[in-house]
Amino acid sequence: MERERARKERVDDRHNKQRVFWRTVVLMVVFGALVFVPLAARLWELQIDQHEELQRRAVDQQTRDLAVSAERGRIYDAEGNILSISATVQNLVLSPKDLAAAIAANDEKIAQGKDAEPNLNKNYIAQGLAELTGLDAGDILERMEKTNSQYEVLARKLESEQSEPIRAFIAENKLGNGVYLEPDSKRYYPYGSLASHVVGFVGTDNQGLYGTELIYDQALSGASGRVVTAKNAKGTEMLSKYENFIDAQDGRDHHLTIDATIQGFAEKALKEGIEKYDVQNGGFCIVMEPNTGAILAMASAPDYDLNDPFAISDPEAAAELQAVRDSGDEAAYTKARNEALLKQWTNRCVNDGYEPGSTFKSIVVASALEEGVVDLNTSFYCNGAKQVADRTIHCSKREGHGAQNLADAVRNSCNPAFIEIGQKLGAEKFYDYMEDFGFLSTTNVDLNGENKGYIWSRKFFESKEGLTSLASASFGQTFRITPIQLITAASAVVNGGHLMVPHVLDYTTDEQGDIVDTFPVTEVRQVISEETSETVRELLEGVVAAKQGTGKNAYQAGYRIGGKTGTSEKIGADQNEDDYIVSFLGVAPANDPKIVVLLAYDTPKPSYPGSSWTAGGTYISGGNMAAPMAGPLMGQILEYMGVEKQYSAEEISGADTTVPLCVGYTEAQAAPVLAAKGFTYRLIGSGEKVTGQIPTSGSVIPGGSEVLLYMGEEKPTEAVEMPDLAGKDPDTVKQALGNLKLFMRGTGSAQFFTSSTLCAYQSIAPGTLVEPGTVVDVTFAENVTDFTQD
Amino acid sequence: MARRRERDLTLRQQLAGGPVDLPFLMLVLILTAMGLVAVYSASFASAYYESGDPATYFWSQLRMGAGGLVILWCTSKIDYQWWRKLAKWVMWLAVGLLLLVKVPGIGVTRNGANRWIRILGIQFQPSEIAKLAVILVFAAMLARRQPEKRRKWNKKMALGRVLDFTERIGLNELMPYLGILLGVSALLLWEPHMSGTILILAGGAAVLWAGGIHWGWFVAGGGVVGGGLWFIMNHTSYMASRLATWRDPWSDPRGDGFQIIQSLYAIGSGGLLGKGLGQSMQKFLYLPEEHNDYIFSIWCEEMGLVGALVVIFLFAMLIIRGYWLALHARDKFGALLIVGITTLTAVQVFLNIAVVINLIPPTGISLPFFSFGGTALMIQLFEMGIVLSVSRQIEAPREG
Repeated sequence: MERERARKERVDDRHNKQRVFWRTVVLMVVFGALVFVPLAARLWELQIDQHEELQRRAVDQQTRDLAVSAERGRIYDAEGNILSISATVQNLVLSPKDLAAAIAANDEKIAQGKDAEPNLNKNYIAQGLAELTGLDAGDILERMEKTNSQYEVLARKLESEQSEPIRAFIAENKLGNGVYLEPDSKRYYPYGSLASHVVGFVGTDNQGLYGTELIYDQALSGASGRVVTAKNAKGTEMLSKYENFIDAQDGRDHHLTIDATIQGFAEKALKEGIEKYDVQNGGFCIVMEPNTGAILAMASAPDYDLNDPFAISDPEAAAELQAVRDSGDEAAYTKARNEALLKQWTNRCVNDGYEPGSTFKSIVVASALEEGVVDLNTSFYCNGAKQVADRTIHCSKREGHGAQNLADAVRNSCNPAFIEIGQKLGAEKFYDYMEDFGFLSTTNVDLNGENKGYIWSRKFFESKEGLTSLASASFGQTFRITPIQLITAASAVVNGGHLMVPHVLDYTTDEQGDIVDTFPVTEVRQVISEETSETVRELLEGVVAAKQGTGKNAYQAGYRIGGKTGTSEKIGADQNEDDYIVSFLGVAPANDPKIVVLLAYDTPKPSYPGSSWTAGGTYISGGNMAAPMAGPLMGQILEYMGVEKQYSAEEISGADTTVPLCVGYTEAQAAPVLAAKGFTYRLIGSGEKVTGQIPTSGSVIPGGSEVLLYMGEEKPTEAVEMPDLAGKDPDTVKQALGNLKLFMRGTGSAQFFTSSTLCAYQSIAPGTLVEPGTVVDVTFAENVTDFTQD
Repeated sequence: MARRRERDLTLRQQLAGGPVDLPFLMLVLILTAMGLVAVYSASFASAYYESGDPATYFWSQLRMGAGGLVILWCTSKIDYQWWRKLAKWVMWLAVGLLLLVKVPGIGVTRNGANRWIRILGIQFQPSEIAKLAVILVFAAMLARRQPEKRRKWNKKMALGRVLDFTERIGLNELMPYLGILLGVSALLLWEPHMSGTILILAGGAAVLWAGGIHWGWFVAGGGVVGGGLWFIMNHTSYMASRLATWRDPWSDPRGDGFQIIQSLYAIGSGGLLGKGLGQSMQKFLYLPEEHNDYIFSIWCEEMGLVGALVVIFLFAMLIIRGYWLALHARDKFGALLIVGITTLTAVQVFLNIAVVINLIPPTGISLPFFSFGGTALMIQLFEMGIVLSVSRQIEAPREG
């Protein structure tokens, strides 16, 4: 019994020990291993699967970008002139929290009778800042009450003359962290409104909003550097040794193909034409290098001042807007202001479509020649009108051009002939060429907001109902394309058929001035052959050079200019019947094109509704308005570009010649020298030898001019007043200038001898005082029949 | 005093003079050293902004760690059988200290809770003592347990029959344990100190489990605790909002979710290999409690997944070695002591890491050896000393 119990106890004891053993093993497995499995799995999930996302969020809160901002790249023109540049300015920042703390601490000092700042109180500071910034002291006081905030920007982008007194005020009153200046950068545009639509502007945070500033915003901005700092509960900076700097990458400098000088010429021509022809709705002008698609100038009127893009630049529009504002209707004012801003910001060259009119005939004739449906010998007959389907379409010359060959038809801008050409080409081919010349798509120019124009669908165009559309398309009416589309296609027509991608960016450089990226000159496709292109160039030159050419007012002696005029009716419900766009599409030199120019004016004002003439007496048409402005513009550009003048035999007699030295010679000695240069001379006085001459030797005057030789008599040096030559014929002008001992260099129409050739432009404004012997450029224009208003 | 020769020692003295378990000691030393490094790195920013000296917390922790290692060694030298007798006095001490938290001038109030007392300039949580006391008392009681010996009740009385029934199912035996647990828990919840309560329940339960209490009681106890938690979670608005924050911290990123989001940012941005020791960004005042309860997040950020797994592996080794020592302990008391202490450590490690990786809703449990807190580290090392003292009496494997 006793042994039995002892045995039982031993067994129990063993069982008991085993139980402790196994239970401990269970704990070992559970707490030594199993519980760590979910921990490891979750750590894997966080540190491997979600690593990037969590790190990104962590970095977001840990980093601040405000310390090291990258300098925005500059924008240069083709000649290295700075169009856009950033400079450091100051933002005035208020930290109500810190200011309140500083004031409280100061008040305590005052209470304890310690050394304290006498003027450290809200009223004094608000008053002082208000005086220095022009802000309202009440507003500043109000913002000082936001004591939870540490960052209230009171004034942005203060220039040094304003910020320096503020800096002194802050230092004087020991405002420290309560009010401080924070560097920021501001964009300056040294040329003001020049090429405003191309250069564009930036917003308050220097982000590109428009133009090149927008399109190349990323490359211009660069990458701002970051200082990895933590904000603690007090929002103060970190220990400096725990800052991790990521260097700022300054923005790239952008060099444009735009040439400020050419741009200036273009804008001047645009502006002068708008004033001269009383143009209601602005205009546009593009100068393109046809072989590369580089845009040398692009102007759109109205424009605006890049340094103040939110100001309405057009005085009339500004006055209208002010009237709306004065009426007190806030909503109407906001709407009107937005519309006015949008209007001046619109780059008409790429944003809007327009009806190209007869300028489009250059495309049509190129297509027809390439397709072989016409050649130079094809004959046309124009009796003044042509019947298409149920419509009668008139020619610009009501009585008809009669029998013409292709060159005549182009020169006359004969609508019936072009309808015939369009029909010969057929709707399908016609549409193919519109597509190939890029009118159905955007050109991908590197400017913002490019549009595509407005063209029929292929299905409609090729249908029976599309017949009249085919006819009107043949002379550029009833559809819309953008100016950039037209000039790009026209460049292809004259450059050997290569459709290029137009562009304003040439290349970018880094801080060292090394080239980083170059805009690739890209050919989209070859549309016509070199031979066709050459033929079209000759045809276009005929438009300007020929005596009866519709573009003869663009003629410039010495430069082989080709071109096509255009006068188009504006379509659309909101247009008046009198609304026309007059334009000129020019190319020069015709044998080896260096520039293509498209100049257009939107809606010259007729003298009375329904009139075909402006109040200034100019017939409203491209040949009478755009051509005489475009001709001198092209001459100017070519001269600036250093394109050598080429004179024909007739022109040589009138070509510029350097005056030789005659002073000290006898008449017998001087006469052959002058004759060799083609000059005539007149003797004044009765001395033996020449004592003075007008003009002086080395002056450049038109060949065949008369040189004045003073034989002992005093040479007059008194300045003379420039007469008004407007509307005078060449002989009258020559005589008037001759009487004043001034010289005339005539440009414009090839011959000056019809009674309808009148002075349209003089290079020196009437009333200006000039030296005797000065050469005056006088542009003559002749009324041409390139368009008739029905 | 001249050193006595071995043969003059009693058997118990000879046993107590055996070698400590070297692997366990090494793991403790490695973890303590890593913990010090982690405190230095994690507290760097806070210390700088608070006092100007970035090493303030580190020096404090280093001093206490050094003191703790001395305590560890001395404790390991003590024959652990003494704790059988001292257990109930430790318990009374703990209860007394727990009451002191409510005494003004001694108790320290933080965040509306009285978990701390300050005596003679030393500040600590009495709950740390209470944890150990519960384990000591339970181990001592269970070591004397004789399940075969049942007390006879007078079945003639109704109460006697009831008590006889409860005696048979083992409830009577459990009553003193339950009484102690409930009493201590009540004192802790009065502070209030929820996480301390959880740890004491876990430590006590582990000792009871290893001590051989019928598994059914653990099922029942687990059911009661689980049911209670379920009720609290679903029927109190405080817990409901806390649970919502747990499920989606981004629902309130600036408020309740802030700390856990910052913790996840730290851990997540560590990636596989980490940013490198000392390179944490989140410690720059983003992550609150970055050198206390959330020190592991900073460790993960700096050392990456690899560094985190190394720490977890070392803890697992320490815990497994602890249980291994329990399995080989000379007697049941020693085994139960180690089980209690090891389980307590394991549960703390699990709960701390589970909180910082948002596996479970937040509870304020620190990470042994790592979290800043000198007295907690000292008591931790003291507990490790007890484990080592038990290890000294393990019989050496027989040769051959």
